[in-house]
Amino acid sequence: MMKWQRDLWLFAAPSMVLLFLVLFYPIASAIYTSLFDYYLVRPDDKAFVGLDNYLELLSSERFWSSLWNTIIIAGGAVALEFAIGLSVAIGLYNLRYGAKIFTVAMLLPLIITPVVGALFIKWMFIAQWGLIDSLLASFNIFGPNWLGNGYWAKFTVIIADAWKFAPFMILVLYAGLQSMDHNIIDAGRIDGANSWKLLWHVMLPALRPLILFVLVIRLMDAFRFFDTIYILTGGGPGTATETITMYTFSLGFGSLEMGKASALGVLTLVVVSAMIAALGYLIYRRERGAF
Amino acid sequence: MKHIGNQTALILVLGFFTFVTMVPILWAFLISIKDPIDAFTIPPKIIFDPTIIFHIKVWVELGFWSFLINSVIISLGTVVVSIPIGTLAAYALARIRTRHTRSMLFGLLTIRMFPHILIVIPFFMMARFLHLFDTYLVLILAFVAMNQPFTIWLMRGFFVDIPLELDEAAHIDGCNNWQTFIRVILPVVRPGLVVTTLFSLQLAYNEFLFALVLTGSRTKTLPVAIAGFGGEDISYWSMSAAGAIGISLPILLFVLFMQRHLIRGLTLGAVKG
Repeated sequence: MMKWQRDLWLFAAPSMVLLFLVLFYPIASAIYTSLFDYYLVRPDDKAFVGLDNYLELLSSERFWSSLWNTIIIAGGAVALEFAIGLSVAIGLYNLRYGAKIFTVAMLLPLIITPVVGALFIKWMFIAQWGLIDSLLASFNIFGPNWLGNGYWAKFTVIIADAWKFAPFMILVLYAGLQSMDHNIIDAGRIDGANSWKLLWHVMLPALRPLILFVLVIRLMDAFRFFDTIYILTGGGPGTATETITMYTFSLGFGSLEMGKASALGVLTLVVVSAMIAALGYLIYRRERGAF
Repeated sequence: MKHIGNQTALILVLGFFTFVTMVPILWAFLISIKDPIDAFTIPPKIIFDPTIIFHIKVWVELGFWSFLINSVIISLGTVVVSIPIGTLAAYALARIRTRHTRSMLFGLLTIRMFPHILIVIPFFMMARFLHLFDTYLVLILAFVAMNQPFTIWLMRGFFVDIPLELDEAAHIDGCNNWQTFIRVILPVVRPGLVVTTLFSLQLAYNEFLFALVLTGSRTKTLPVAIAGFGGEDISYWSMSAAGAIGISLPILLFVLFMQRHLIRGLTLGAVKG
């Protein structure tokens, strides 16, 4: 490496200083705050409690149910998105022309403001006046209470996330299919493989690094997703769709328990870091050179 | 021999899927141009007298224009800071090749995956303490930090595409690092700069959590405004839908303009579409 290259560190300095001040300082401060009993409205009563906030959270049912909700919603949504994404991407790949028009139209939900997208979905599912209920009603069918019943609310939230993010899977997997070496497919066909066998034994293995990449990205994002649930259910009914992020938000900005909310934030960070480490390790070990 | 299956059936299936995807958007658009009397009939009415009264009401009378101004100021402010410093860092990280650059790039990716809720709490306390709550500055600062990993990764991808020989030639001709960057490298990477800028604008325009927590009545952005407007009360539906559709219009332009670069932007440059 030449000297001029070493000197380039200076170019990275402004960004790194800003990141340090604007991200690492708040994180340190969150960890510090998490050790205190601190209500925003009563700053004078701030008291050091050590790890009490963490212990309290870890022994509370609400924390575990919010973690469970997060896993169900994130896992369900990503699985659904992947299934849709892969099928549609393969469909587009087999299309002779016109794929471009379809992809541009399909992309809209992905790029649209998340809050607005959530409202669009809400107007579909809202009881009685939503499009789905009113369509069902014209056949004299009365749909379930999409947003008011615990199970259906989870379902609706998953559908909303899938509506928004399935296009992401479609887009990336379609790009992956297009950049794939056609020779291996042709070779497989000459060897007499049918379409399913081609898909299973040739195309999917070739796409595996990309598939892992999108699954990891989406899982991480789904794990902290906030906007859609905030708009659709606010975490309700009760706490049926309350994810960790929603729970942290309601601790911090609903009941203003800053210490406890910070502790929950730190716990979320620990969970997410563990996920990143585990997935990173898995990918690194099994897919050397994938990234 | 790439194509298999029946093309007509495929087009029908994909067309149906695309239609279903579009239905929520179309439905909201219909609500926004229908009188509430027509909007809530069973089965939903297809033929009606369209009206733009609700669009006018929400943007003019209900003051959504001022939230639009807030959104524009904050998005532009974010980009003005975030793009220059991010581009510089991206260039450095594209040209320096050591173990440290690798771990820094991975670190940036980790920041991208961070639970934002953890950062928003201390940000809120800090903003109150420094009397910065409900100012443009605090939100711009937050967005810049949030956008750095994205900007750096995406721009780095564009820099890596440029052969190192170009830099070396510039150095042989007597340019220092700064001159090389400004006069030789930056002009080459201009299309990438445009793509990254537009993506950053879109991210800042769409952000909700930080805007919700850090803005009050003075600097409220469009997403916060429309979220507070409520989708519950049916008498407000038409206006709320008009607002939502209006907010989406710039995004529509963005998609049409960016379609070639969307894949690259959405995957931090990992997939070059």
